[in-house]
Amino acid sequence: MNLNKLTIKQAHELLEKREVSSVELIRAHFNEIKKRDKDIHAFLSLTEEEAIKAAKKVDERISRGEPIEMLAGIPAAIKDNILIRGAKTTAASKILENYVAPYDATVIKKLKEENAVFVGKTNMDEFAMGSSTENSAFGPTKNPVDLERVPGGSSGGSAAAIKAGFSVYALGSDTGGSIRQPAGFCGVVGFKPTYGAVSRHGLIAMASSLDQIGPIARNVDDAAAVFEAIRGVDELDSTSVSSSAGGQDYWNSPLDMEEIKVGVPREYFIHGLNPEIEKNIKSVISKLEKEGVGIEEIFLPYSEWALATYYIIMTAEVSANLARFDGIKYGFSQIKNQKSKIKNLMEVYLESRGEGFGAEVRRRIMLGTYILSAGYYEAYYARAQKVRRLIKQDFDRAFKEVDVIITPTSPTTAFKFGEKTQDPLSMYLADIYTISVNLAGLPGVSIPVKEAAGLPVGLQLIGRNFDDVRLLKIAKIIETISQ
Amino acid sequence: MALTKKEVEKIAKLARLGLEESEKEKFAEDLSSVLGYVQKLSEVNIEKVEPMTGGTNLENVMREDNETKDIADDEMKADILTAAPDKENGYFKVPSILE
Repeated sequence: MNLNKLTIKQAHELLEKREVSSVELIRAHFNEIKKRDKDIHAFLSLTEEEAIKAAKKVDERISRGEPIEMLAGIPAAIKDNILIRGAKTTAASKILENYVAPYDATVIKKLKEENAVFVGKTNMDEFAMGSSTENSAFGPTKNPVDLERVPGGSSGGSAAAIKAGFSVYALGSDTGGSIRQPAGFCGVVGFKPTYGAVSRHGLIAMASSLDQIGPIARNVDDAAAVFEAIRGVDELDSTSVSSSAGGQDYWNSPLDMEEIKVGVPREYFIHGLNPEIEKNIKSVISKLEKEGVGIEEIFLPYSEWALATYYIIMTAEVSANLARFDGIKYGFSQIKNQKSKIKNLMEVYLESRGEGFGAEVRRRIMLGTYILSAGYYEAYYARAQKVRRLIKQDFDRAFKEVDVIITPTSPTTAFKFGEKTQDPLSMYLADIYTISVNLAGLPGVSIPVKEAAGLPVGLQLIGRNFDDVRLLKIAKIIETISQ
Repeated sequence: MALTKKEVEKIAKLARLGLEESEKEKFAEDLSSVLGYVQKLSEVNIEKVEPMTGGTNLENVMREDNETKDIADDEMKADILTAAPDKENGYFKVPSILE
């Protein structure tokens, strides 16, 4: 039996029937990591000792005949911008190279209550800024499907870990597509919940009005199981909402195909989209139509301005959020470096931040600083907030007619290393289909469909605000018919 | 929209980022290219549009102001201070602020 390709449900049943112990399951994953992660580099750090300890605890409960939670004893990989108390948390940045988290993120607290087992922290673009993991200060992750290609990003390590069989599921974070795009590139499922459905407490903030934590998994059922475990209101995140919003009963009451209405936005199927990706997505749409699902062409006319809006709002929030890395409270600092001859506080800031942050992070901080500076605020930031409203209204209008929207996750399949690193704009275009979802706060999920030239293709499904469960149910239907 | 090297230096200083001399040209080029792209927004008619200021339209939320309950127990306080590069008697230490 291959223990490295199990779904959560399969692993849970094996544990319950005592066919496999949690320790065996965890060891099988560490063995695979040790064998192959030298080539893939999905992980920045491993927590083997703690993992075995947690697994033993679950095994003891099983041997006493106690019932166990759905995620108990099952390996999870955590993106390295999510805090696990006592574990190194770097956000793939030199400025946090030696940072040990002093508390648990709320999602980690919730997973611990389920007795989940953490195998390690996954690689990412520095502070989640990027679409390929090439911006990691500790070297890129490779796509397990083709080692010459990027796994996508910024949650590239999490997506690669699931594809490679290093973990059963993973957590990622998504600000402009950072869960969905790497899931698409690696051929796994990635789900970004509605903004507010999952607490962001303990997630290293990038752009607070856009960031959201979500699962990367082998199938839609697994993504739903993890979502159920981590969702809910949290005192420590004032934007979080109770889990009754978002819908219940994923596992019961399946949907009637003939009651589903799917929208296909004309603006997302235009030039720049790889023709084979277009063909594969359209073939899923035809299959749905044959099953009785209603298909409607819809219009999202402000899509054209989404990327520009995103790059103003995101960089503005980045420049504010990353002000906390100051060389004083924690992280990399030049404060005590004898050679740097620090004379005052200003020099601590300049030297610690200048050296601690990579090029893309500094680029975005500077853009945000410029955009928010006196004389430019109205022209850039205030205008972008208004266009953001118009983009949201596009979706509000569409969702009066349809339940979900189908698009490609990305315009291309996984690209080669170095292909887009020289020109930041070409890299930003990799997120063209995913960013609007964050601007509007909507839930979105990427599901693997038929490959193009041997590389995975992701289909993105977008749902109404707080309609996460129905979105996942429809995703499950698509997963079933496209297999 | 082309930023000069001098403007990049000014922005970097506002952002508290030290830059190497050799990087400034490339940053000027990159920032100019992105700023050029986002100019696109000037095409949109935004008259009478309300700004969207957050992720969702949520109400103000209050909680008890009790940091010891959820945020920092004593052990955590010690851990937080351990992470600081320079400290003294339970405080973060900062070099002189005024000239």
